[in-house]
Amino acid sequence: MTESKNTKISVKLLCLALALVLAAVAGYSFYDQRHYKETVVVSDALTDVRWLSDYVPELEGTFGDTPIFVFDSGVEGGSLLYCGGTHPYEPATSLSAFIMMENIQVEKGVVYVIPQCSFSATTLGVQGNAYPPYFTIETEWGEQKYKIGERNTNPLDQWPDNFTYINYPSGQSQAYNDLRNLNRCYPGRLDGTFTERVAYAIMEFIRTEEIDISIDSHEASIMYPVVGTYVAHQNAENIAMMASMDLTGNGIFDMKYEASPNSLKGFTHREWGDYSDTLAILMETPEPFIDRIVGPITEDLMMTGQDLFLSFAGDKGLTYVEYSEENNYSWPMEVRVGRHLTGAAKCLEYLPMFYPEKEVIATWPSYDELVEQGCGAFLHDPSTADPNQVYEIYCERYEYKGPIASKEEPAAEEPAAEEPAVEEPVAEEPAAEEPAVEEPVAEEPAAEEPAAEEPAAEEPAAEEPVAEESAAEEPAAEEPAAEEAAA
Amino acid sequence: MRRVICGILCVLMVLGFATTAFAGINGEVKTYGTPFLITNAGQGPGGKMARLLVSQTGTVVLDTDYFYDSEPGAEGHGTLDDMDYTCLVVVIGSTDKGLGASGITIDDELARLEEMVAHAKEIELPIVAVLLEKDKRSDIPTNANERCIDAICPNAEWMIVVADGNTDGRFDAISEEYGIPLTIIDTTLDFTELAKQAFIKSE
Repeated sequence: MTESKNTKISVKLLCLALALVLAAVAGYSFYDQRHYKETVVVSDALTDVRWLSDYVPELEGTFGDTPIFVFDSGVEGGSLLYCGGTHPYEPATSLSAFIMMENIQVEKGVVYVIPQCSFSATTLGVQGNAYPPYFTIETEWGEQKYKIGERNTNPLDQWPDNFTYINYPSGQSQAYNDLRNLNRCYPGRLDGTFTERVAYAIMEFIRTEEIDISIDSHEASIMYPVVGTYVAHQNAENIAMMASMDLTGNGIFDMKYEASPNSLKGFTHREWGDYSDTLAILMETPEPFIDRIVGPITEDLMMTGQDLFLSFAGDKGLTYVEYSEENNYSWPMEVRVGRHLTGAAKCLEYLPMFYPEKEVIATWPSYDELVEQGCGAFLHDPSTADPNQVYEIYCERYEYKGPIASKEEPAAEEPAAEEPAVEEPVAEEPAAEEPAVEEPVAEEPAAEEPAAEEPAAEEPAAEEPVAEESAAEEPAAEEPAAEEAAA
Repeated sequence: MRRVICGILCVLMVLGFATTAFAGINGEVKTYGTPFLITNAGQGPGGKMARLLVSQTGTVVLDTDYFYDSEPGAEGHGTLDDMDYTCLVVVIGSTDKGLGASGITIDDELARLEEMVAHAKEIELPIVAVLLEKDKRSDIPTNANERCIDAICPNAEWMIVVADGNTDGRFDAISEEYGIPLTIIDTTLDFTELAKQAFIKSE
C-alpha cells in the first residue's frame, strides 16, 4: 500500500518536473522572442536617432517605443519617411528598411526610416500558428538573424480584446482584433489603447517633422487581390500611378495601383493623408508564407515562397500575381525586398514631377541588384564595423552615437557634443506637444475636408453611407477568417 | 536608275518616319476634337491613369479641353449633356481593392454603365473603350473586368488596349465580331503619345 502510494507520488513529481521543464523551454522561447534585438550596421549617412517617445513621451519605457533613423543630407529639399514592420509577420518590409539603412546615401533632403513601426508586434510569433520565430540571411561573413513577428500588438501590451472595435474618430466598426492592428488604428489618440497611442505617435512624428512623402511597406498573400500594388491617398495618386506605370511598362516588375478608398478607415494610406499634409502611399509585395492554403509553414517557405499546394492554385490562375513555372513557383525574399526598395525609389523619382520643391535625392540598393546578389550582399558585419555604426532595434532608448569616425573628427569626442543636442528635443517636445494632444480632435473637421472635396469629383457619391459594409469586407479580404479567429 | 534609287530612299525615309512616329502604337489612330470626357467602367484606377497620361501630352488641358468624371449621371456628378463632348473615353478595369469599398456592387456598376451607354447612343456621343492595366482578367464569367468589357466594348467605335491586357486575344475577337477598330499600345505609358495624336484641341 505504502509502496503504491510512493509510486503515485513519484509519478506526480515526475509529471510536475516534466511540466516545469516544458514551461521553462516554452518560457525561454517566449522570453527570447520578446527581447531579441535585431542588429543593423547603419550607413555613414546617419545623422540622428530619434524615438517615437520624443513625440509622445507616454510611450517611453514601453514596447510601443521604437527608433527612428535620420539621414539628413544637409541640402534643402523634401523629406521621406520609409516604414517597415507595421505588420512584423511581413518581414520583407523591415528587412528592406534595414538594407536601406545599411546602404543609403542622401544627396538632397532628409530620409527617415522606422524599421519596426509596431515594435510590440515583433515580440511574439503569430498566435495560433506554428510559425518559425526567426529567419536568417546568409552573408559572406556569416548569418544574420531577424524576427518573424505577429500582425498585431502583443497581448502582453494590450489585452483583453473587446467584442467590437470602433475606429476613432471615424466611428467605423471593424473586426474586433483589429483593435491591436496598427494599420487599423490610425490616426490614433493619446488616451486610447496602446496601439492607438503608437499610431498617434507616428502621426505626431509626421506632423511635427512635416514629412513630405510617407511610404508604408507591407506584404500580402498572393491570393489577395491587392498584392504587388501601390495603394495611395488621393494626394499621392499621381506619384503612385506614374511609379506603377513606369515599373510595369518598362518591364522592371509588375506593380499595380489602387486608390485608397475614402470609406476604409484606420489605414496609413487613408489617415496619414487625411490627418497630415504628407503624401501617403502603401506598398504590398507577394508573400506566399501568409497564404491560407500552404503546406508546412517553415523558414524555407518564408525565404523562397515555394509551396506545393499553392502551386496548384497558381496553375489554375487563382493567384493575383505570377505563381507558375515561369517564376519557379516562388517569391524569394530578395525579390520581395528588392521590390520594396525600387518601389520606394520610383516614388521618390516621380515626386519632383508634381512637387519640385519636395525633391529628395537618395540612393540604396535596387531591385536588380537584390535579385542578382541576394540580401546578404548588402548587409555588413557588425563585429568588424565601426561600433558607432552598429545599432540594435529595441524599445529601450539609446542615443545617436555621433558621426562615424571615418567621416568626421574623432568619434570619441563627438557623441559628447552631440548627445545634449539629441536629448534637448526629448525634453522640449513633450511640453510643446502635450497641449497639441487634443488637436486631432479639433482637426477632425479638417480631416473631413478631403472627403468633402475628393469624392465629389472622384469617388462614388454612394461611398460614405456604406462605410460599415466596407469595413466588414476589407479585413475579411486581407485577413482570412481563420486567422482572425486564431488571433 | 538614279531616279529609282532616289524613289526607294524616299519610300524608306517615309516608312522610317512612320515607324518612329508610331513607336509603341499599333493600329489605326482615330482623331477627335475637344472637349472630351474620360470616365471609368468598373471603378478601377484606369480612368485616373488616363487623366494623368493625357495631361502629359501638353496639348490639351484638364478641365478646359478634357474632363474627368468617375460616374457621369450619378448623384452629385455631371452628365454627358453638360458640354458638347466630342467623345466619351471609357477606361475599363475593376478595382482590386473591392467595389464594396466604393459602396457599390458590380451589378450596380453595370446598371449604371448600361444607362450611360444608352444615353451616349441617344445623343450620338462616340465611345472610345480603353484598357490600360495589365491583364487582370480570367476565364471566370463573373469576373468584374469581363463583365465591364462586355458592357462597353461592343458599343464602342474604337478600342485602345495595352498589349499585356490582350494576351488571350479577347479584344481581337470583339474587334472581329463587331467590326470595331482595335489599336494596341505596347505599354500604358504609350497612351500619352496616342492621346497626343488622337485628341486635337479644337480651334
